[in-house]
Amino acid sequence: MRKLLIALLLFSFGSIYAGGYRVALQGQRMLGMAHAGISVFNNAETTFFNPAGMAFLEGKLNVSFGVSGIMSHVKFQNPEYNWMHETDNPLGTPFYLYATYKATDNINVGLAVYTPFGSSTVWHKWAGSDIVNDISMKVFYIQPSLAYKFSDMFSVSASLIMAYGGVLYNKDVNRYLTGDNGEKTNVQLDSGISGATGYAISLAFKPADNLSFGLNYRSSVTLDAQNGTATFNNVPAFLSNDLKNTNFSAELPMPAELGLGMSFKPMDKLLVAIDYNYTYWSIYKELRIEFDNDLPPSVADKKYKNTNTFRFGAEYQLNDKMFVRAGYYYDQSPVPEGHFSPETPSLDTNNFTFGFGYQMDKWSFDFSLLYLKGKERTDYTFVTGEGPVAHKFGGTYVNNAIIPGIGISYSIK
Amino acid sequence: MKKILNILVGLLFVSSFIACQPEFSNPINDQTYTSGEADFSNYVAVGNSLTAGYTNGTLYKSAQENSFPSILATQMKLAGGGDFTQPYLEDDTNDVGGMVFGSNVILEPKLIINASQGGPERINKTPTMDVTNIHAGPYNNMGVPGAKIFHLVASGYGNVANLATQQANPYFVRMASAPDNSIIEDVVAKNPTFFTLWIGNNDVLWYATSGGTGVDQNDTGNLDPSTYGPDDITNVNVFGAVYQQLVDALTANGAKGVVATIPDVASVPYFTTVPYNPIPLSDQSQVDALNAAYTQYNGGLQLAVQNNLITQDEADARTISFDLGANALVIEDEYLTDLSALGLPSIRQATADDLVVLPAMSVIGVAPDPNNPQMVYGVTIPLEDKWILSKDEIVTVRTATAGFNQVIQAVAASKNLPVADMAALMEEMKNGLVEEDGSFYTANYFDGSNLDNLVFGLDGVHPTPRGYAIIANKFIDVIEEAYGAKLPKVVPANYPTFDILPSN
Repeated sequence: MRKLLIALLLFSFGSIYAGGYRVALQGQRMLGMAHAGISVFNNAETTFFNPAGMAFLEGKLNVSFGVSGIMSHVKFQNPEYNWMHETDNPLGTPFYLYATYKATDNINVGLAVYTPFGSSTVWHKWAGSDIVNDISMKVFYIQPSLAYKFSDMFSVSASLIMAYGGVLYNKDVNRYLTGDNGEKTNVQLDSGISGATGYAISLAFKPADNLSFGLNYRSSVTLDAQNGTATFNNVPAFLSNDLKNTNFSAELPMPAELGLGMSFKPMDKLLVAIDYNYTYWSIYKELRIEFDNDLPPSVADKKYKNTNTFRFGAEYQLNDKMFVRAGYYYDQSPVPEGHFSPETPSLDTNNFTFGFGYQMDKWSFDFSLLYLKGKERTDYTFVTGEGPVAHKFGGTYVNNAIIPGIGISYSIK
Repeated sequence: MKKILNILVGLLFVSSFIACQPEFSNPINDQTYTSGEADFSNYVAVGNSLTAGYTNGTLYKSAQENSFPSILATQMKLAGGGDFTQPYLEDDTNDVGGMVFGSNVILEPKLIINASQGGPERINKTPTMDVTNIHAGPYNNMGVPGAKIFHLVASGYGNVANLATQQANPYFVRMASAPDNSIIEDVVAKNPTFFTLWIGNNDVLWYATSGGTGVDQNDTGNLDPSTYGPDDITNVNVFGAVYQQLVDALTANGAKGVVATIPDVASVPYFTTVPYNPIPLSDQSQVDALNAAYTQYNGGLQLAVQNNLITQDEADARTISFDLGANALVIEDEYLTDLSALGLPSIRQATADDLVVLPAMSVIGVAPDPNNPQMVYGVTIPLEDKWILSKDEIVTVRTATAGFNQVIQAVAASKNLPVADMAALMEEMKNGLVEEDGSFYTANYFDGSNLDNLVFGLDGVHPTPRGYAIIANKFIDVIEEAYGAKLPKVVPANYPTFDILPSN
């Protein structure tokens, strides 16, 4: 099991800087149509979007695997100080793996492994280095589900969520402290991997062949890192007894998400899907790092707000093998004014998606492309750690991301 | 399968095409920063140690790099500013400052905190800069540590031959373009398009740091500065005449600039760090013993009152008494009525109106004779005048400073030059200055809790590079307002303060 976890973590998760550290890339077919899949029950991706939808899948066994490549850029400027910086983020490669199996006529079981949360932000030698130099957060969920079909129109599902993940986080201790080598004194925080559990429940309702509804609720999960390691680098000699390497604990909350979806077929070859997501970001009140030694805790106020996401997508069948897809969604930032921090520079974003599907007998291939454009935002956050008062750090942020993805599905009738 | 491959390649192609950088609606560009009506192409800074970048008791290489004119010039480069040269310090190989003359150390190296001892002390390294290692200017930074206003127009101030008679300045010796050129001649030769002029601090500061041992030349009416002692206060008429001469020379070719006021020297940590009452007594027998030691003196004062030699008020002010708790220092005070005929010294206890100079820290509480531990400086041995700026001396200092600042304001007004009120800024820095971003800075460095926020160096008089960054920001404010320029600010917290070493 441990080897598997480590293997999964080799994927870099990337950030899209939209809804907090949520990375909504959980199915190339659905992503082509704005990631609106709560009421679309046509392949194994439903194991994530709405496990109750498994009951309406045609195959005995359905498997989907996909991976995306996140290329994201964030730019920052503040003319008050002539600050101009941009992130140098590595390519993010979040993935998913889904499988469903029809155990009986009424019972379907499913397994989903996916990466709903993550971030990967690298700033180089920049003005906000006392907040973040780089951060990499990796969280994946393993979610077995059981769906029960009450009738040809209605099914329910319950899932267990096993979440694993952790954070690597580097920041300077403050704005001026340097080691005797002249380099900034920084601390590397490695939370290690912790696990926690949650659940999901969902409903699928298909009153007619050309009309479906879905509801999906995923609970919050809080990863409790108890044995993280804090490593101080470039410590000046006179502080060598104070800034000693130590252990720390911190809580990393993954918010709950409620989704409602509707899809319909206004004509035989056209599928239209609309999703609404409500994400309970208010769980992220602060990032508190408690050190095991005498160092004072590091506390960053977050005060995130719950967010709404609206998704509109469509799929058109060109012929018996080919599908084209397009979609748009608007993603709200959970970050309130005065708490906008460069380690998760999450902007309100407009998102445009495109997709192409190629279907053969048992195999199908899906390609997606997401273009994300953040709305420019001028905001700040308060930084503690220097004397009795906090200071402001802020400026104007803008971002974009381009995210191609490929998915492979397999189905046995 | 080939089709799928084609699609994949196409997708990546499209991705790389769209994956351009995001852009700001109003990005920082060539037009963001401007010089307005000013011309920064040849900025020259004129002044003393505060302009040179002097801090922690000396001028050293990394401190010079963070002098306020150097910070300012860096920002000006974004708005048409040219190269900014500073006096040669490449021979400060250990970055410790100080100076030697051959094998003699003539200026001590920088002050540091020795963490194993606690207090500030000189770093245990020998200076490498030699006063005879001349690299003739003129430079853009014409700040000369130690210069009084009249030194700026003095010929021979840069002549090594005059060092022996203290008529030359070792810093100016190294940088003068010719040995007998005056500072202002070198400044004019540099032909500035823009200048800062911040001069006059030393004309009153040295009187204050000496505990008021010099002469106030306003009392004597002496207008010949060549006869002044180093700790004298410059006559305000001398100050006014030279100030006018300097500003005339600087503006002769139409250059614009900023002049700065002189801070109230009594606001720097040199005078505000050591309290007037640092003697804690917790033992009643100690209190009784000390009071007994002064019974004779106190009795003598009453005798003097009865003989109408002093008033009852003076006797009360001079009466020495100790209690449990914090007690005031016993000090000498030349302003008291001389009762030496009665065998009574001119001593009293300090009050909150007196300022104790920073170096007194090393004396107070010390028993100079190990065989006589009862005789302790500040308690049973009165502190000498040089350790105390008494309330009368403070009045002298403040009167002189106000006079100089009136000159500065008046000359600036007549030339339509903006004034950077450094007097107000340094007062704020002492009391706790809050920057626009909420950062808090203070001079209060010996309470030990706020290493993060310090702006004054260990000499108690000069700002640290962090303080000079605050000063540079203030100049930027004034330049922007007066000339319609736009320059970026710096973040003081990014600048260093002083060295803390585990041992020395």
